[in-house]
Amino acid sequence: MMKKFMALICMAAMTAGMLAGCGSKAETASPAAEGGASDNTFVVGFDAEFPPYGSMDENGEYVGFDLDLAKEVCARRGWEFVAQPIDWDSKDMELNSGSIDCIWNGFTIQGREDAYTWSVPYVDNSQVFVVPTESGIASQADLEGKVVGVQKDSSALAALEGDAADLAAGFSALQQYGDYNVAFMDLEQGAIDALAIDIGVAKYQINSRGEGFVILEEQLASEQYGIGFKLGNESLRDQVEETLMEMVEDGTFMKIAEQYSDFGLTDSICLGK
Amino acid sequence: MNIQMMFMQLVKGMGSSIEIFILTLLFALPLGLILSFGRMSHKSLVQVISKFYISVMRGTPLMLQLIVVYFAPYYVFKIQISSGYRFTAVIIAFVLNYAAYFAEIYRAGIESIPVGQYEAAKVLGYSRAQTFVKIILPQVIKRILPPVTNETITLVKDTSLAFVLAEAEMFTIAKQIAARETSIMPLMAAGVFYYVFNLAVAGFMEYLERRLNYYR
Repeated sequence: MMKKFMALICMAAMTAGMLAGCGSKAETASPAAEGGASDNTFVVGFDAEFPPYGSMDENGEYVGFDLDLAKEVCARRGWEFVAQPIDWDSKDMELNSGSIDCIWNGFTIQGREDAYTWSVPYVDNSQVFVVPTESGIASQADLEGKVVGVQKDSSALAALEGDAADLAAGFSALQQYGDYNVAFMDLEQGAIDALAIDIGVAKYQINSRGEGFVILEEQLASEQYGIGFKLGNESLRDQVEETLMEMVEDGTFMKIAEQYSDFGLTDSICLGK
Repeated sequence: MNIQMMFMQLVKGMGSSIEIFILTLLFALPLGLILSFGRMSHKSLVQVISKFYISVMRGTPLMLQLIVVYFAPYYVFKIQISSGYRFTAVIIAFVLNYAAYFAEIYRAGIESIPVGQYEAAKVLGYSRAQTFVKIILPQVIKRILPPVTNETITLVKDTSLAFVLAEAEMFTIAKQIAARETSIMPLMAAGVFYYVFNLAVAGFMEYLERRLNYYR
């Protein structure tokens, strides 16, 4: 008797739990994922460990060049802006499952052209190598036989596995990191000799850590950043892009970039110049 | 940024960690008891199912379970989710995982009670439910407190795994602060927070043990 009763409770509890989970999903599912932001929230997915494009500021708010742009787009469109930090490894799953409306976070178009519905490119980015000043490494040729770090699933890694595969073949090892902070610490303590990284992020890191690092003149790859939407979601892309172009025309875009000029953004943006 | 600001942000993250901790215990403790009944059931089907459930939950990484619970609705059932499901998914995964461990702890406690007590209760006219609630369970609770404390302390530390879903608990926040500050200090500070939290948990469990020690 007791056991049957318990089994019943067990079933009921689990079913209730599942139903509750599904129920709340259905109610709050963002129609924006399907088309326009008709429920008035615009959820931007970003890596919160990727300054200056997206990070947490001193008051615990999420800020960055990309997020400031997104916030302005929302203000003009009358959407509610939601900055949703995501784990970079799960970005596709987050976007496809509808928990975010776009990925707007120093997101490289090259190599991912067919995987997302892209906005116009807005930043000309390059991938570079950062080395300690006293390392004596002055060019990519000096990287022969060295240990080089890179963020996993980054464009720098894509370049080293693609166009620059010959260069990468000469490294003694290619070490992949989850985030740039750990990678830079490893560079600082000498466990790796060089780090392949986005130039904007490199400038932020060097700015914050002070002297001791240089960026190699020779670039690893050049590429462009765009806003990535779920494949086929043209209507939302068009709305965001329309407002973004308005901001470019009236100079707001440039004004936002100027706030991040320390990290070279005024030079690297490719709209509104 | 100053230490005070960092402290405030970590406290906020800590709030989320504590929320995960409390909700998990709230649901996993009862679910674990029910599961332990299934595990000890004489009906072989119920027993096999419970055993299988426990072995899967204990045999796969919690981090993987978090990812599965969060992404399965869409990738398996094609249900569009919203960001609000993130926290729900964290709780569901933690509860399902911890219930499996708690079930085995309950089982150890229940099976440690001599059969003679059941026989004596039967002679005295106790029903099976009465026997369990009034005689067996109070003793079981006393006996299982130390392993439950173990599990609870592990849970405090495991809340940090919610970072894979980018849930804004303390570890996620600490990593984000560390990225901005380009420093490792915030992670060390988070370590101190976890330690203090666990000190409080262990202290409370010790107090409970003393309170329940009424026959000695």
